[in-house]
Amino acid sequence: MFTFTPQNLQKIEALKSRYPSPNALALPLLWMVQEQEGTISLEAMEAAAPFCDLPPIELYRIATFYTMFKLAPTGRHHIQLCKTLSCALCGKAEILAHLQERLGIGVGEMTPDGRFSLEQVECLGSCGTAPVMQINDVNFENLTPKKIDEILKALS
Amino acid sequence: MRDARIVSRRFELPQSHTLEVARAHGAYTRLSEAFDKTPSELIEIIDQSGLRGKGGGGAGAGEKWKLMLPHDPRPKYLAVNCDESEPGTFKDRQIITKDPHLLIEGIILTCYAIGARAAYIYIRGEYRAHQQILQAAIDEAEAAGLLHVKGAPLLITVHRGAGAYICGEKSALLESMEGKRGHPRLKPKQKECEWYFGNPTLVNNVETIASVPFILYEGAAAYRSFGTEKSPGTLLFALSGHVQRPGVYEAEFGTSMMAYIEHFGGGIRKGKKLKAVIPGGASTAVLTAQEALEACLDYESMQSLYSALGTGGMIVMDEDTDMVLALKNLLEFYRHESCGQCTPCREGTGLADTLLSRVLEGHGNTGDIDKLLELASTMDGQTICVFAPAVAIVIRGFLLKFRSEFEARMHA
Amino acid sequence: MIEIFVNDQSLHVNEGVLLIEALIQNRIDIPYFCYHEALGMDGNCRMCMVGIEGQKRPQIACDTIVKAGMRVHTTGERIEDVRRRILELELVNHPVDCPICDQAGECKLQDFYMDYGLYDSAVSKGEKVHGAKHVDLGANVMLDQERCVLCARCTRFTCNITKTHELGIIGRGDHARISTMPGRKLSNPYAMNVVDLCPVGALTSKDFRFAQRVWFLSSTPSVCHSCAKGCNIFIDHNAPKYQKERIYRFRPRRNDAVNGHFICDAGRLSYKSLNDHRLTCNNPDAMDRAKALIQAAHNIALLVDANLYCEQLDALVAFAQRIGAQLYCPNQCYYDEGFGDEWLRRPWRAANLAHINTLGITQSTPSEAHDLIISFNHPDLSSLTCKHKIAFSTHEGVEADVVLALRSWAEEAGTLINITA
Ligand SMILES: Cc1cc2nc3c(=O)[nH]c(=O)nc-3n(C[C@H](O)[C@H](O)[C@H](O)COP(=O)(O)O)c2cc1C
Ligand code: SF4
Ligand code: SF4
Ligand code: SF4
Ligand code: FES
Ligand code: FES
Repeated sequence: MFTFTPQNLQKIEALKSRYPSPNALALPLLWMVQEQEGTISLEAMEAAAPFCDLPPIELYRIATFYTMFKLAPTGRHHIQLCKTLSCALCGKAEILAHLQERLGIGVGEMTPDGRFSLEQVECLGSCGTAPVMQINDVNFENLTPKKIDEILKALS
Repeated sequence: MRDARIVSRRFELPQSHTLEVARAHGAYTRLSEAFDKTPSELIEIIDQSGLRGKGGGGAGAGEKWKLMLPHDPRPKYLAVNCDESEPGTFKDRQIITKDPHLLIEGIILTCYAIGARAAYIYIRGEYRAHQQILQAAIDEAEAAGLLHVKGAPLLITVHRGAGAYICGEKSALLESMEGKRGHPRLKPKQKECEWYFGNPTLVNNVETIASVPFILYEGAAAYRSFGTEKSPGTLLFALSGHVQRPGVYEAEFGTSMMAYIEHFGGGIRKGKKLKAVIPGGASTAVLTAQEALEACLDYESMQSLYSALGTGGMIVMDEDTDMVLALKNLLEFYRHESCGQCTPCREGTGLADTLLSRVLEGHGNTGDIDKLLELASTMDGQTICVFAPAVAIVIRGFLLKFRSEFEARMHA
Repeated sequence: MIEIFVNDQSLHVNEGVLLIEALIQNRIDIPYFCYHEALGMDGNCRMCMVGIEGQKRPQIACDTIVKAGMRVHTTGERIEDVRRRILELELVNHPVDCPICDQAGECKLQDFYMDYGLYDSAVSKGEKVHGAKHVDLGANVMLDQERCVLCARCTRFTCNITKTHELGIIGRGDHARISTMPGRKLSNPYAMNVVDLCPVGALTSKDFRFAQRVWFLSSTPSVCHSCAKGCNIFIDHNAPKYQKERIYRFRPRRNDAVNGHFICDAGRLSYKSLNDHRLTCNNPDAMDRAKALIQAAHNIALLVDANLYCEQLDALVAFAQRIGAQLYCPNQCYYDEGFGDEWLRRPWRAANLAHINTLGITQSTPSEAHDLIISFNHPDLSSLTCKHKIAFSTHEGVEADVVLALRSWAEEAGTLINITA
């Protein structure tokens, strides 16, 4: 059974007073679920729905619209490599090849030990420091194969 | 090149994002000057200044503020657009990380002018670290008792998106903030404000709002002393792609594009020759090197080249760039980001990508170029929002200006 | 009323209506998927493009309010070209499998692409975005995601009309599709209306799937008999080769004063009982035996079903007088509290109780004193005890001294008085 943590329940109450309608909490609630659980389960959507006064299907619709919401598990370190133009112009292909080789997985896959998963994403809004990737919430910019090695080494 | 720093004035100061540093360099010190004027006087100054929206559309800010129904009894809202997802655009994040207090000050002033007591900053989900800096600044300002308009409390809430380019479109942004999928709304038939849960709402870009303090304190004429007649002021232009020093550098409108690229970007990387520049984020028509030579960074010049200033985020491509791959890259982006609501866009973005895949896989024929061009015209002007027309512009730009590169990939 | 001009023809239309309504009401051809008179406009299909003088670009008629003097064009090269190209895009990811589609013959997509002479999809099968083909949504409704044009009619129905929120469009871009919440089903008493609403063959009725090609069916306007509401319906029927006439389905028939565009699923599926276990012929001596029983009886009760037409009931009143019988219509068996709801369904599950009331027929069970009950299809005959029974019945399985076949309501014409309160 999914339940929000007491801290999140408090946060929800505080947020309610900031919006004209509880409906506005849909995205914040899904974020809280994902931060709490790592992924967003159907059960959690059912449980979150009453907090924003929406039918569960609406949360499901939202969760499948926004690409950052994860319905399936990702690795402990979820690598999101930008594939859009500025990054592509600045050597994204080489970085992708290097990542795949180092991790031994393809795009959309997870390492067997669950440590890493790899995804390509659209422009991360860091085009000036291309190529760029995000691991979970942290940006890594001006990537080179050497830098990738260092970054991966530092992650458990 | 004349130094023109309105928004980036405090960017280089150490710890510029803290209240202490910002205040020491002028932040929040002149609020009472503005509060001494009436809201309509402030709107008039903004209107006089010719401030144009810096989120891509370039709409006159004053004109939009005037649509906010001053006598309407419903609560009013300000939604600050920090979705910043247009490829090649990364300027707003400079403001929220380097001078968040400038944005907050702009929000206070704007809310006073339009009669709002609550503002939301819609920030793209990927800007997690940047959001934290912004939130810390809001908390600091709140603790210092700064979040009020002339004594009335002002609520500033950061609302996090979750990965959807289309939520930068203003009505999709409001839908998203209402707890829905980011589907753009049908356009009203007459000019009116936006609506958040049925309440009058103003949507402006981060940089637009960050320009407000300078204009209200220094006056419209001071703002107009930069830029051109139709494009007054400055913009945080950005450079990415094949330049020596990519980044965000503020410059006044009217600056020559090549001078900007040389001066701030240090020219093309590795001594290569320029091939093309996408001038204002992915959704503006690509310019050839020849056109880039003529181009100035303002609305008029870009329009005369049948392109647009957009967000001012330039993507620079050198002579080695494969334009077919570049277009393919963008078409994948649009296919992925179409909200899927209306048929010409949902199916058209997918079809365009599929047709170009064919070409890249060696199954293309010359008819495919015409098919793509016809598709572009089907996507243009038949949809709910301007996402699809923008895709049409992108397709036409690449195909018409670099046709031979595409033809070289075709069989017959 | 204001005057507008459509293809240079003057029309007088109500002020404030949508242009598409005005066009539909005046029977001017206009293709559309997403607009629906009961659901309103949504503006997503972009098929209803028209030219409006003074506007640079074609406009969608469903998002345009008529204005006095407005000049509209629904034909012409430019507008037809735009429509053709949008339609072509609609077919990009559609399987175009009309020969095996149940909707064939009543599919708007098929109609339009025939009109516009499009038979090829711009991409090959391998390049299409594929979806699930046979999704059982629940409530007898099957979904084929590939045939869906994402008009959102079905979702607007469950969202705005039944407010049960089972269906939604999930995913984004060309991966958007209709779905329920995984693990949940479409389940509401009106669910099957989405099959009628769906303009293409994406939603089909499990009950009707592959039963008949629609062009073989004849439609007869009628009224549902499954409750006192009296929803207007079409009976779609046909006699397959060497077989008896069968009813294949009921469909809602628009009547804004009663049921609007919709009917409930119970009513919709009630056609089945009209096909099976029917009593169709009589024993040769049945009439004579019935006559003898009537002549011998001293105290006759005449039991009438509250589903009989007014004309039938009036005739039975006269008949009762002639043979000196007392009329009854015990009504308890019609009452089903749980069936009633706030929308169409009424707890009284018979079509003509209002006329029974008007005629003042006793609605309690007949007294024990009767020595003969003659029933005209009353459903509760079996629970009554009496020395002799004569049953006129539409169905088999009735126990009585004499049983005589009666034609069903679907085979008779007549008048009903519904209870709308
Ligand atoms: C597809 C699309 C994406 C957009 N993305 C953004 C964005 O990321 N940030 C932004 O400020 N404006 C964006 N806009 C423009 C907004 O709709 C809106 O015009 C703008 O936020 C208004 O603010 P401004 O007048 O201050 O520029 C986008 C528009 C479209 C059609
Ligand atoms: S044009 Fe594209 S992005 Fe805009 S509403 Fe239509 S489908 Fe959505
Ligand atoms: S299933 Fe039918 S009614 Fe529902 S969206 Fe698809 S085409 Fe429209
Ligand atoms: S509501 Fe009553 S009359 Fe209408 S379809 Fe259902 S059962 Fe028949
Ligand atoms: S293109 Fe990679 S961050 Fe913008
Ligand atoms: S009917 Fe008008 S857009 Fe679909």
